[in-house]
Amino acid sequence: MELQLRLALSSNSDEGFDLNNRNQEQQVEDCRLMKKKRCFDETFGEIENVQVPQTLPLLDHIDLCVPGYGRNECDEEDGVVGWPPINSWRKRVCHQAHHDNRRGCITTNYVTVKNGGGGGGSGGGRSKSMHIKVKMEGVGIARKVDLSRHHSYQTLTDTLSAMFGDEKVQAYKLTYQDKEGDWLLAGDMPWGTFINSVQRLKLLRNGY
Amino acid sequence: MAQSFPEDVLEHVFSFLNYDKDRNAVSLVCKSWYEIERLCRRRIFIGNCYAVSPEIVIRRFPDVRAVELKGKPHFADFNLVPEGWGGYVYPWIVSLARAYPWLEEIKLKRMVVTDESLELISKSFKNFKVLVLLSCEGFTTDGLASIAANCRNLRELDLGESEVEDLSGHWLSHFPDNCTSLVSLNISCLGSEVSFCALERLVARCPNLKTLRLNRAVPLEKLPNLLCRAPQLVELGTGVYSAEIQSDIFSNLAEAFLGCKQLKGLSGFWDVVPAYLPAMYSVCSRITSLNLSYATAQNPELVHFVSQCSNLQRLWVLDYIEDAGLEALAASCKDLHELRVFPSDPFDAEANVSLTEQGLVAVSEGCPKLQSVLYFCRQMSNAALVAIARSRPNMIRFRLCIIEPRAPDYLTLEPLDTGFGAIVENCKELRRLSMSGLLTDRVFEYIGTHAKKLEMLSIAFAGDSDLGLHHVLSGCESLRKLEIRDCPFGDKALLANATKLETMRSLWMSSCSVSFGACKLLGQKMPRLNVEVINERGPPDSGPESCPVEKLYVYRTIAGPRVDMPGFVWTMDEQVSSSLSRVTERRGD
Repeated sequence: MELQLRLALSSNSDEGFDLNNRNQEQQVEDCRLMKKKRCFDETFGEIENVQVPQTLPLLDHIDLCVPGYGRNECDEEDGVVGWPPINSWRKRVCHQAHHDNRRGCITTNYVTVKNGGGGGGSGGGRSKSMHIKVKMEGVGIARKVDLSRHHSYQTLTDTLSAMFGDEKVQAYKLTYQDKEGDWLLAGDMPWGTFINSVQRLKLLRNGY
Repeated sequence: MAQSFPEDVLEHVFSFLNYDKDRNAVSLVCKSWYEIERLCRRRIFIGNCYAVSPEIVIRRFPDVRAVELKGKPHFADFNLVPEGWGGYVYPWIVSLARAYPWLEEIKLKRMVVTDESLELISKSFKNFKVLVLLSCEGFTTDGLASIAANCRNLRELDLGESEVEDLSGHWLSHFPDNCTSLVSLNISCLGSEVSFCALERLVARCPNLKTLRLNRAVPLEKLPNLLCRAPQLVELGTGVYSAEIQSDIFSNLAEAFLGCKQLKGLSGFWDVVPAYLPAMYSVCSRITSLNLSYATAQNPELVHFVSQCSNLQRLWVLDYIEDAGLEALAASCKDLHELRVFPSDPFDAEANVSLTEQGLVAVSEGCPKLQSVLYFCRQMSNAALVAIARSRPNMIRFRLCIIEPRAPDYLTLEPLDTGFGAIVENCKELRRLSMSGLLTDRVFEYIGTHAKKLEMLSIAFAGDSDLGLHHVLSGCESLRKLEIRDCPFGDKALLANATKLETMRSLWMSSCSVSFGACKLLGQKMPRLNVEVINERGPPDSGPESCPVEKLYVYRTIAGPRVDMPGFVWTMDEQVSSSLSRVTERRGD
């Protein structure tokens, strides 16, 4: 059995392979795999120029800008099956952790202990990180920003500019979803109030 | 040939051989040694339940006391093996019940176990002692009730991470009052509450109880009741580790832990409330094994607790530990052998915690005994992998999962070939490797060249061509298990290395480019292999032979093609009768 040695990196398809016979799902899967390879080299902006079939599972998984409460339980089923490789027991813990985080249920209460157990109270200094999803209209992939590292709208805008590109951020307006699920324009409230109620961010094109 | 020793002397000598490998070697010396050995082998390990039939096992080994069986392929853990694939233990139990009335131990992994099977076990073996069911499914708490009620001398009941249909917690009450033999009880996978009174009484009357792993439903306030009745515990799995913050709950807990002077292992910690972690400080310095992988505690409480365990050998934890926590671990736990870091938010493209390759590098550099790693992260570099390889040439198991498929070196954007190459080149004792990230055929060349002791390899979204697979199959001399998903490997490498597959336990390939024609050819030419095609979308022969199969599972066997396949599994064996007539017996796995 002669093995043909290749010098160049080949694409996903095997040359002995009759692509015409692949059914629709396989072709979609090809598209998905090819897109994954491009994502590393290209900026996010280019994704919106590519014709993307509606059923691409990986992008559906990432683009979650659905009004209302964020992530639903079945999200990972929209992604690649069996990836990342964690079993069903761990998946359940991840759901739990995620829901608890989002609702801010990680307990920070401390009890003072007479025998001097060290853990209580020692963690006062460091504030908890606050990762919030940021979606830019027209861009396929959402990002996350840690709001606990910011103390003003200015620093937040600077970070978003670094993420999405300065011109874009200037041309868009920043909106946020509050605890009641309503979408509001960011900047009207004092920063402290904003931080306490923001659930997610969205950059909308001006003119809407 | 003159026999120098009488049989019973040889038998006595053989009784010191515990490893299957040694016993297999001994049985090859000559016919009489083969005969003596087979009559006195008491423990059987069958890594693939379809590699051999119960009848063949029983014929060779007539007096067995412990059987260990594994069923589904490893990727079943990640939902890659469809429901109903197989791995049924019932036919084994029926045969074992007939042949080995003195069987004491049954250990099963990834098998389908029914209540019927459990009932049969409980009634067939008078001296039954050990039942271990890891990642099994198919049974209910009714089956457990049979075991509890009928196994008079039960020492160990370990349900691992099995999927049990929880009909009621009442099953535990079926342990008779005169059952005092329990040494190990693991019910952590059960959903519903067991009768606490029954549990308390059971624990109190079993003075040899060393391992107790509770399920989530056991409240924290009640944990002291159990600890007080079992101060001799060596391994404890807590139930839910959360309660209202009350100082009397805390002090009861602390006092109870204070009494557990033998405690070496801790697990459980569901819904952990960090305020209650200090209640365990009195045992921390003796702890060698800590499983916090269900504990959603964050830093600083998390790392503070872990750092107290200066004698830690094994740590399983969520990525909430972050790089900073791992650096602290590297500084305080110099005895660490094994580290597993699981992702708290695996389905998000963005990181929710500050855990990077730096944490793993720190532990590798700081912990001289580190030999087993499972690490989920979102970025990796060749430089980090090289550093890890150079620090830890004693690495035996290295499993790295970079969450984004095909992620390159985040610093150079190059493939991670060099990094993993360094791992296999430096870590000469490496037995298990799982790779991820952007990888070309080159990494497989390194693996084929250097990974001579590698027994298990897991590959995903890697490689460019058949050359990659060829390097592995032709170079890895010790390879036993190979599992591949979403790689552009096709027919050529597989067919060129067909005989290699007979030296391995199994090969799994899914979402690759192996054609139906190649599978048929492999099945026809290699009668000692079962070549099974899994196609859920329809029969593989409904399209042309060049069409790729969805999933392929190839394993060596002396039992011929299996007869319990579901509709979506096709066996490629054509010459059924000739494969069964082969006389040469396979050496044990």
